[in-house]
Amino acid sequence: MKKSSLWSLRLGFSGKQASTIEKLGLEKFLKHSYDSKFDTEMPAFLQDQPKTTLELKQVRELVKNSDPETKKEIQKKENQATAALKKWWIAKMRNDEFPLRENMVCFWHNHFVSTSQKVKINYWIYQHNMILRENAFGNFKDLTKQILKSNAMVRYLDNGDNKKGKINENLSRELLELFTIGIGNYTEEDIKNGAKALAGLNIGDDGAVYRKNIEDNSDKTYFGKTGNWKADDLVDIIFEQKNIPYLITRKILKWFIYDNPPEDLVIYYGDYFRKQKFEIEPLLTKIFTEEFKKENSGNKIKDPLVYILQLCDELQIENVDDVAIMAFIKQQGMDLYNQVNVKGWDGGNSWLTSQIYLQRNNTSDLLCSGKSLNRKVLKTMVNGVEKEKSEYEKTAVKVVFDSNGNNKTIISELSDRLLFSVSNSAQKDMENLLKYDFDPKDPHADFAVVRVFNYITKLPEYQLI
Amino acid sequence: MNRRNFLTLTGTFTGGMLVLPSFLHAFGSQSNLINGEQCIVFVQLNGGNDGLNTFIPYDDPLYYELRTKIALNKDAVVGKNKGMAFHPSLKDFAQMQQNGDLTVIQNVGYPEPIRSHFRSQEIWQTATDSNKYINEGWLGRFLDLQCNGHQATAGINLDSIDNLALKGVEPNFITVKDPDRFKVKSKEENVTLSKNPHLDFVRKIANSVTEGSDEIQKALAKSKTEISYPKTELSKNLEWIARLIKGNLNSKVYYTSLNGFDTHDNQLSIHERKLTDLNDSIYSFYSDLKEAQLLQNVTVVVFSEFGRRVKDNGNGTDHGTAAPMFIIGGNNKGTILGKNPNLADLDNGDLKHEIDFRSVYASLLKEKMNFDYSKIGIANKPVSGLFA
Repeated sequence: MKKSSLWSLRLGFSGKQASTIEKLGLEKFLKHSYDSKFDTEMPAFLQDQPKTTLELKQVRELVKNSDPETKKEIQKKENQATAALKKWWIAKMRNDEFPLRENMVCFWHNHFVSTSQKVKINYWIYQHNMILRENAFGNFKDLTKQILKSNAMVRYLDNGDNKKGKINENLSRELLELFTIGIGNYTEEDIKNGAKALAGLNIGDDGAVYRKNIEDNSDKTYFGKTGNWKADDLVDIIFEQKNIPYLITRKILKWFIYDNPPEDLVIYYGDYFRKQKFEIEPLLTKIFTEEFKKENSGNKIKDPLVYILQLCDELQIENVDDVAIMAFIKQQGMDLYNQVNVKGWDGGNSWLTSQIYLQRNNTSDLLCSGKSLNRKVLKTMVNGVEKEKSEYEKTAVKVVFDSNGNNKTIISELSDRLLFSVSNSAQKDMENLLKYDFDPKDPHADFAVVRVFNYITKLPEYQLI
Repeated sequence: MNRRNFLTLTGTFTGGMLVLPSFLHAFGSQSNLINGEQCIVFVQLNGGNDGLNTFIPYDDPLYYELRTKIALNKDAVVGKNKGMAFHPSLKDFAQMQQNGDLTVIQNVGYPEPIRSHFRSQEIWQTATDSNKYINEGWLGRFLDLQCNGHQATAGINLDSIDNLALKGVEPNFITVKDPDRFKVKSKEENVTLSKNPHLDFVRKIANSVTEGSDEIQKALAKSKTEISYPKTELSKNLEWIARLIKGNLNSKVYYTSLNGFDTHDNQLSIHERKLTDLNDSIYSFYSDLKEAQLLQNVTVVVFSEFGRRVKDNGNGTDHGTAAPMFIIGGNNKGTILGKNPNLADLDNGDLKHEIDFRSVYASLLKEKMNFDYSKIGIANKPVSGLFA
């Protein structure tokens, strides 16, 4: 696979940026990604959704005093907004000129997990998402502080129940175990005392705030330091610990390059991260530029998002239905803002089961034959209920290839773009599909090249980047 | 209750449309079937098989005149019949013909022939005119109309790549890369290990995801191989197809191929080797089915994308046009259809076709599948006198 194609897939969600990476070079491409602007205007579908504690109270009152019909109606509107939020995000991933930021947002949202199913308030999920976007390349320590004080996280990890004298350890525990330093680097006492420091931190109009009557102002000892610590202090202390850079560095390497990152690389980049005072941008630059020089493709199983967005991009499908994308990745186990638990998606091998693989292949068949992916079709794939043939609307699909070449140049062109390695048998099969006397100038050459593309997408090698 | 009765009953209770794919229903009420279900097995010879050295006009002096280097000796050819005879390697083809189970259809091709392997295979697989294009195969279109919704095992393709002939709007066929895999299902998966553990992981999963594998397992469990097949890939594929047929897998179409017929050079020895493989594999398959008393239900069709130039070129031949097709089993009349190749009336050195391959397709669809071939855009009249 060409480096530009590989890194387009790694840094974004498809091969779409390969030519830009080639043109600008990796470093400039990264610079543009860091400098990219993003939309800060609140999307219209959130206009009617409750935001302040007062509005929330009003909605709750309304629901309580309404007939079942109205209740249903309110619930329906909320669900629609939840779906709209995912759709809004997928459109960004798909359309951004420099999608690295959205990729990092996705990374962070799988690190600071907070599911909409539990949080329920769409506006808080949106706020959570915006914190991640603003800080995508920012400072890990600052980001941790902000997330700790987000309504979404406080709700998700039950800190509303964490009160002076009646401690709930959930947020305190995950802060250490999953968000920062990782298991083995703290004591149960640290968790207890951390929880005390977080007691009273509860939902507010503009992010979480301490409630005076339930906060705990006693002195607590945290990693050997004693004082009346609050949320920010906890984070400051955690970031003084020796092992703080490694967990997140390992996860970044895992997200972008290696399903099983070598431990020496984790230490190497992690130490650099500490030196950079936990600034994410220089860490990413160092990892990406140094890893770019290595031959390290084929170490990561594509996640469903990359799988489907790459497919749509390669087949040049116009009017991609973001709702269908949303449904597809959900069926593939990657529902946005809906991870199974606080640990987030495991990634790696867990992305693939035979069922999921079969659905990937079926989806490729579907799209390669010019049919469109929609929720109905996806449903039948899972339930096995047959659909009416008329439900399919077919459009012509094509993949990019140089019609000045011959069968072999076209095969290498596709392999360079799509496969990290080409086995002898795959090469033979492709040359069987596209024989030596294949004429690329034939007006219907597209059909045949799409068949080769379809074949490629079903190779095990295609599942890896 | 046997399967056929069951189908008829189900058809009655449900109007025949709700539960079963329509071709299943069609079987219940079909009267001309002797025993069970009809299917067609295609054996595609890739590369352009030299028809003139396969079914040989050994009595025609022009044959020896034009093929100074590669003509086969009059005394070597077998199964002489009206001036035509088989390549010595095809001794069992001659035997099958003598048994009345093999028909040769001579000079099969299509107008405006194309000599590109790629394109000519496309034409045979889509059954279009040579200047028309369609993205679905002829069997794929047939299965689309025959199956309600989709039926993963309506067609079985034994190859490492999907087959355009079977490609339809719905996925009504599966490609089985390695039949051996199905025999060891519950055991440890056989995966050639690479140096990349991630790739090995994906390969293992890839091996476990053939849709329809349950039906295949069931059919395999119900049958076994009774005779011994040679150890070639084609034999293995045919042996496996025989097991599925005997195990009552309800597939309408099986498709497999044999490579290596592009004999530009060193033709005599290459061709001999290839035809020996073809002969031995097909004869084992034939004997197997005959023993199981299923031959009347199974029609084997052997064809290639084109024949080869009449005049030889050095020790080989160049791409040509018309060539014979072979039909085995399925109650065919065991005869020779069409005139002997006319070596005196050539088109730029190539044989002129007399029977359009789509006429053969039409005949197969009409007489074996009880299907109106015009529904998939075949306008040619069926070949007459092919089936009893």
